[in-house]
Amino acid sequence: MKITRSTTLAALAALGLTLGTAACSSGTAAENDTAAAGTGGETVKMCVLVSDATSSEALGFKDYYTQYIQQNFDVEFVYSEELADADAEKRAMESFIANNCRAIISFASADRPAQIEMAESAGIYYSVATGTLTDEQYEMFKDYQYYVGAIGPSLDVELQAGYDMAKHFVDEGDTRFAIYGAGIPYYIDMHIYRTAGMLAALAEDPSTTYGGAKEFGDILGVIMRDGTIKVDQFASDVYELTGYQEVWDFDDSAWQANLAAVVSSKPDVILAAGTGFAVFGAAVSGTDIAIGDIDAYTDENAKAMEAGSLSYLAGKFTSSTGPIFAATLSAVQGHPIRGEGDTALALEQGYWVATSIDQFNEFLAADTIESPVYDQAALEPFIGTDVSYDDFAAFVSKYSFDELAG
Amino acid sequence: MHDLIQRPLPGAQKRRAERASGRETLAALAPLGGLIALSIAFVLIGSARGINMAYSVETLVNQSVIIVIIATGAIFIFAMGSFDISLGASTLVAAMVGGLTYNATESLWAMLLACVATAVTASLISAALAAIFDLPVFVTTVAMLSVLGAVAVALVQTTGGAQIRVDSAFARSYDTLTVKFVVAAVFIVLCVFLFSVTRLGRVEKLIGGNPVTARLTGIPMKKTALAAFAIAGLGVGLGAFLTVLRTPTLTTSTAGDIGMNVLVAMVFGGMPISGGPRTRIYAALVGGLSMAVLNQTMTTLLASTSAGNGIAQVVRAVFFLAVVWVATSGHRGRLLPR
Repeated sequence: MKITRSTTLAALAALGLTLGTAACSSGTAAENDTAAAGTGGETVKMCVLVSDATSSEALGFKDYYTQYIQQNFDVEFVYSEELADADAEKRAMESFIANNCRAIISFASADRPAQIEMAESAGIYYSVATGTLTDEQYEMFKDYQYYVGAIGPSLDVELQAGYDMAKHFVDEGDTRFAIYGAGIPYYIDMHIYRTAGMLAALAEDPSTTYGGAKEFGDILGVIMRDGTIKVDQFASDVYELTGYQEVWDFDDSAWQANLAAVVSSKPDVILAAGTGFAVFGAAVSGTDIAIGDIDAYTDENAKAMEAGSLSYLAGKFTSSTGPIFAATLSAVQGHPIRGEGDTALALEQGYWVATSIDQFNEFLAADTIESPVYDQAALEPFIGTDVSYDDFAAFVSKYSFDELAG
Repeated sequence: MHDLIQRPLPGAQKRRAERASGRETLAALAPLGGLIALSIAFVLIGSARGINMAYSVETLVNQSVIIVIIATGAIFIFAMGSFDISLGASTLVAAMVGGLTYNATESLWAMLLACVATAVTASLISAALAAIFDLPVFVTTVAMLSVLGAVAVALVQTTGGAQIRVDSAFARSYDTLTVKFVVAAVFIVLCVFLFSVTRLGRVEKLIGGNPVTARLTGIPMKKTALAAFAIAGLGVGLGAFLTVLRTPTLTTSTAGDIGMNVLVAMVFGGMPISGGPRTRIYAALVGGLSMAVLNQTMTTLLASTSAGNGIAQVVRAVFFLAVVWVATSGHRGRLLPR
């Protein structure tokens, strides 16, 4: 074998990196332990994982953090790029840890257990925004020192949101439904629970079943087993399930064809487990098909409701991510808010429901980037002081429009 | 009659030869120079920004090892002037089969074997189809890309959802630097041996440099191609094995960018895309590490900038062009670029 200069240098470079890694790796945990203790009045670098960087909901959450929170608290937000899968999440987590983020707030859920494990190993506080863990996951991670917790709609709230939405249209006399299940095939729990809630509402009619099931728990079991919704599993003398769509594969021709088929089946309503108008808005334009959606209070949804395409919205408000920020910052500052038995937070936060444009506009106006309902004055009492779990839980539980802005 | 006695070169001619030799040396060292320059920039910027250097170096290894392994194997294909576009899809399918195998057997070795067997089989099918139908290998790998994509969808549907999940505790216990170093070292040493010491490497360079001459000299073209694809398949299989350990939640988008990253890593490392005698087996190692260092440096430099991701991509593209421009300067403009 001919040993050239470049071969030698390549070997030396590789050896150098290898030795560097070996020499440095033992210091990681200790350095992070030091980093986790107190902020000393410095700006706290908080990193945010996002799986969606372009929807109006995602942009609203980002604006609240980067424009309002960053202006009013001593923090700096660093956002990931749009994370498509678990590997992208892992790479982003690695970059955040390497760049000395003091805390990570996650809006990405492809592999939450992996994120929590990485944050715990690195000694970096980690929290889940706009969602919750499953009971099984919570049991697994609730004792982790650096897992701050999750504040968002619990799975029971998701179930109720789906149920209430379907019930609303049933009460209005609609009988032909299509369903958009969004992330069901990815086993995104919130979408599964919302859809199970919708089907449970329809199954209150004596002749209606899904997969032979009538009760919510049984319907949930059928969806979990199949990993999708099967139109032929729906049986009813009163209602008709005219079509079903899922996932977000906009570029796929088969997906587009199925979307067109769902619209062509002429349902009265498309019940969406999320991002309903973003997916179906253009397709239902000029038809009598209404969309019921569980999404967020955004300008885009306001226009849809004004145009009549969106007739029901159970939505997150833009500053709903304020309390989890407060809990996370407080933890970084050495005052973690922990539940009974030193456990992580698992607090519920529900939706604001609008069924008219007037109601929608009222909600939208009450919570803006310039003047959010969770403003500095509301959050400050829970940051950097020893707040009890009960006080914080009581604060989070008052999330309704009437309690916050009414 | 020609004078067969070698005479000293006249002054001007000698200087030209020295300049040409200097350019060749510069070109050969450009990728390595790029890696060294990037590493220095990484250390300087990282120190100035106070990053966690230990974790960063670990991250560099984590983010480059799979690319380096797959690209090192793929060099055997590219050295012959062939092109495999299905590397990413092959990695995905091999990882999924490995994941399903683990879920069925709970055996690490069974998973490793399944990954390697699947990847080698997929790779050999491409080569065999090319041999049987006498088609360019690139064409059969395009066909394999579609087939493997469909296979991945079918595999994921066996779970009833859109993911294949492997026990994360198991994956974490083996997703260590030691495992990565051992797998990478064994495979790279094997490849260096095969490429630099055995006849296989020389034959492949000859095929890449001039396939007509290679055929006329009696080189078994199909046998050599099968050997090259088998080695590349082994690299893909090992890469898939590490992919399952690193990301135990597999979807159809897993490993989606591996094909392009492998290509970029090889070119970044000084590998001529047309193959031939300038092929260097270490190109994947140098290129893969360079990419990882550049990515990490850009992340550190631009993390707080709102347009950071976009700027980082532009900087990466410019740096990539610069390194390749210098690397090809030694032979650019010649009639026979190989």
